[in-house]
Amino acid sequence: MASLAATYGRGAMTNHWGDIANSDCVIVIGSNPAENHPLSFKHVARAKDKGAKLIVIDPRFTRTASLADIYAPLRSGTDIAFINSIINYALANNLVNQDYVLTHTNASFLINPDFDITDGIFGELKDGKYSKATWGLQKNTDGTIKKDPTLADPACVYQQMKKYFARYDFETVSKITGTSVETLKKVADTICATHEPDKAAVIMYAMGTTQHTVGTQNIRTYAILQTLLGNIGVAGGGIDAMRGESNVQGSTDFGLLFHIIPGYLKCPAVEHVDLKTYLEKCTPKTADKQSANWWGNYPKYITSLLKAFWGDNATAENDYAFNYLPKTGGGYSHIAIFEAMEKGTIKGCLLLGQNPAVGGPNANIERKALGNLDWLVAVDLWETDTSVFWKRPGTNPADIKTEVFLLPAASSVEKEGSVSNSSRWAQWRYAAVTPPGEAKSDLWIISQLYKKLKESYNSGGKFPEPIVKLSWNFGGEEPDPNLVAKEVNGYFLADVDFPDKGKSFKKGDLVPGFAFLKDNGSTSCGCWIYCASYVNEGNMMARRKRSDPAKDTIGLNPEWAWCWPVNRRIIYNRASCDAQGNPYAPQKPVVKFNWETGKWAGDVPDGPWPPLKKQDGTNNPEGKYSFIMTAEGHACLFADLADGPFPEHYEPLESPVSNLMSKQQNNPAIKIWRKDEIGKSEQYPIVATTYRVSEHWQAGAMSRNLPWLAELMPNAFVEISNELAVEKGINNGDKVKISTIRGAIDIYALVTSRLKPFQLNGSTIHEVGIIWHFGYAGLVTGPSANELTPHVGDANTMIPEYKAFLCNIEKAIGV
Amino acid sequence: MEENSNNQKAYLYDNTKCIGCRACQVACKQWKNLPAEKTEFFGGPGYQNPAKLSSSTFTLIKYHEEVEEDKLKDWVFFKEQCRHCLEPACVSACLVKALEKTPEGPVIYHENLCMGCRYCMISCPFDIPKFQYHKVIPLIQKCNYCYDRLEEGLLPACSQTCPSGAIKFGTRGELIEEARERIFKNPDRYVNHIYGEHEVGGTSTLCISSVPLEKFGVRDVGTTPIPSYSKQFLTAVPVVIIGAATFCTALYWIAKRREAVAEAENKTEIKEE
Repeated sequence: MASLAATYGRGAMTNHWGDIANSDCVIVIGSNPAENHPLSFKHVARAKDKGAKLIVIDPRFTRTASLADIYAPLRSGTDIAFINSIINYALANNLVNQDYVLTHTNASFLINPDFDITDGIFGELKDGKYSKATWGLQKNTDGTIKKDPTLADPACVYQQMKKYFARYDFETVSKITGTSVETLKKVADTICATHEPDKAAVIMYAMGTTQHTVGTQNIRTYAILQTLLGNIGVAGGGIDAMRGESNVQGSTDFGLLFHIIPGYLKCPAVEHVDLKTYLEKCTPKTADKQSANWWGNYPKYITSLLKAFWGDNATAENDYAFNYLPKTGGGYSHIAIFEAMEKGTIKGCLLLGQNPAVGGPNANIERKALGNLDWLVAVDLWETDTSVFWKRPGTNPADIKTEVFLLPAASSVEKEGSVSNSSRWAQWRYAAVTPPGEAKSDLWIISQLYKKLKESYNSGGKFPEPIVKLSWNFGGEEPDPNLVAKEVNGYFLADVDFPDKGKSFKKGDLVPGFAFLKDNGSTSCGCWIYCASYVNEGNMMARRKRSDPAKDTIGLNPEWAWCWPVNRRIIYNRASCDAQGNPYAPQKPVVKFNWETGKWAGDVPDGPWPPLKKQDGTNNPEGKYSFIMTAEGHACLFADLADGPFPEHYEPLESPVSNLMSKQQNNPAIKIWRKDEIGKSEQYPIVATTYRVSEHWQAGAMSRNLPWLAELMPNAFVEISNELAVEKGINNGDKVKISTIRGAIDIYALVTSRLKPFQLNGSTIHEVGIIWHFGYAGLVTGPSANELTPHVGDANTMIPEYKAFLCNIEKAIGV
Repeated sequence: MEENSNNQKAYLYDNTKCIGCRACQVACKQWKNLPAEKTEFFGGPGYQNPAKLSSSTFTLIKYHEEVEEDKLKDWVFFKEQCRHCLEPACVSACLVKALEKTPEGPVIYHENLCMGCRYCMISCPFDIPKFQYHKVIPLIQKCNYCYDRLEEGLLPACSQTCPSGAIKFGTRGELIEEARERIFKNPDRYVNHIYGEHEVGGTSTLCISSVPLEKFGVRDVGTTPIPSYSKQFLTAVPVVIIGAATFCTALYWIAKRREAVAEAENKTEIKEE
């Protein structure tokens, strides 16, 4: 998501589930939708029925691969090399959508002439941090970016890309990924065929992409490829980030990550001493009048958020209570928190529906860390591996001092509220039944927690204001989710007139859209991107109207629930048109500019402004660029990330081979927590990856306790190739011991033709895949794959590298 | 017969659309409220579990890795379940009409009529009906196409839940046409055969597949309806050889069993209250 935000301005699925059916080419990489997002496959199947090609790129031949037109195996951790070779192929053979690239991307921007990559490093790097001194863009005296619309200048992004990606030819890449040159070319030809303006490919990715030390740059390769092909903003195109759980999109929208607060606003840091400093740092600026630079509205969104949090206690005089917000000093990622817990600097932990004893990397360390806490509160449907960590096999409960509380929670069908899916749709749902026993909704639990905290702070304490002055008006003991949703949407806090829009509102009205939010304290909004979800007319998320397919030919279904932003079903949709507002794919238009009405027709356009050029082809000064969420209004082929403006292949932290691309073995911008826990290939020569299956859910607490699902997959297992099985004398169904430098587990072996050893630059490398759903608690139990995985994360997001590490395998003795 | 069978409810399982996710297996158990079985590792090739159909498992996805010259060509799936034959051997074998071929298509079971002889099990060429050996009053169990759901205008649970469109429910005649068209349009994708069109005289569970179903252990059962084998023989058997005593004993046994079934049902209802 960090990658999509850096490239396009928003970190979310660009299109929506149903839109996959409009695609000409479905590319599945770093995901396994048939197994992990099975309902998405309904739409893949529809696309296939219409003739779309399905390409599956995966180390294992999965159930998704079983329906693929092309299956391309690759070694785990080599996505960048793989996709870079396709980018190179597209650039070298001019298989790009030229008009799109020129109109909608920063291909023509001139880069600092000193920019280069040497030995796998982009300029100056110190202690894992880039100075980024050479990554800048060249500017004119008026502050605008220097461009070369002919794309001929050697310093322009396009020429720099041609030079940069030329290093990734199929022959070299084949030696890295283990994919045959023929397959790489076949995949490249099929994908690049969608550079035709009226064709589109979609990329479906998930945790197989993100859970790497280069996870963000993995996605960057997808973004660059799709942008060059003109596949962003169009029907059947896009980059569809498939979220791992039904409301993960909602959780990030609402800031449940360590670096953001609701609406993808930045988490204030220690150096942001006041609101002014924070706004200066966080509000992007542009000198280009044709760039909408929507994030320039940042002050309105943070001010309205502060007003939602602290109500009347947030005033212009006190910076709208900006300093009531906690300031981060960094280091609150999952791994960092558990490292701190292990060191004893974190004393208490509140876990809601989370099971890190199974799901966390290096799970043995994380289980041990839980034992260093004074208290642990687990809010869950029932006991999970985490809430019973103190009596796990091999431990003596008397030795563990952590006081553990289990709060019974209501399940999803026992409470009302909204759930946001990967399509950015907020769908309202109602409680079907009342929760059993003492189980309570999350709202009730958080509300009670708040009220008790307030009681305690009322009688004193350090810095009580942020708690006692919080605005908390959600009804009685059982909070009303409608009141929460309304606060999220936002209210007018005074009578406000908008003469330019011809509208006026009364105090207490719900704000009809974020274009009406103010930075002067006259509006509140709990999450600006959800503004317009709950308006005076009613709860838009509760709508359930399907469109007439004859009229809504691309299946936008705008009256089914509601989606952010402002019910726009395909984001960046103005990029589906040329500079005059005509769709590249007239047979499946997303939007089209109507010169008579002066308005866009179709989906809610990504900004109301007219096209960049008039009908006669002359410049339209009223027009704005299409990627309104980036400062310069263009999709960023060249982008600002922690580990480089272009994606470079580095080996996973643990790898059996040396990096063929440069001397730099691993991503230079990652933080390595446990240097003595890096497995070497001499001892651990086999690549391992972890994955999920359709029969189980995440860390298994929900599915391993359901008899019908337990029946389908009662044990943990590792999938190994016939070749490795022969080498190690292993038969299907044998128990094997898998060991890494961090731990060892005994597990069933499933011997299969669906995995094949990779031929890498003359050596044979084996890869195995382990399902990670299992733990010691529940109806069916088994060893956890995460006892094996490393405590290392991506350079930008700190997402752990679950998907590529080194192991050894042997037939288990005595089991 | 032909015309009638064309209008019968049937379903077409297309394994080139199946993703092997087994949502159908779970949906079946959920709708029928069938208990889970205790399983271990995998009961068959690939991810197959349970190992076979049973009195609590009416449908089962089987897995097959199609390998050619040491190279994986495809991973294919097959949904095992009652075929709902047009001329069902089980119905023909049942002495007490506990099994019935309904005019709509599904072969259904009347548990209050069943005397537990298990002739249906022996007669079925597909080895589908299963017996509740573990119960005091055992019943025969098998898929009935969710006859109760069909009566309410709903799809069978498995076909309702299938996310990838591998199961299509409809009338038999239309589905055969559609199957033929799919094979015609994509001759490379399918074996040129509609399983169930002619097998044992035709079945209401149709299947088109990318590999011969023999790969999943499905036997070649021929195209002759099973009951026709016994018709001639049965008509030749003189009625008199059925001893009166045997007849009476059977009647008594059936009556007792019906009472027991009724009693058991009453008990269940009370318990549920």
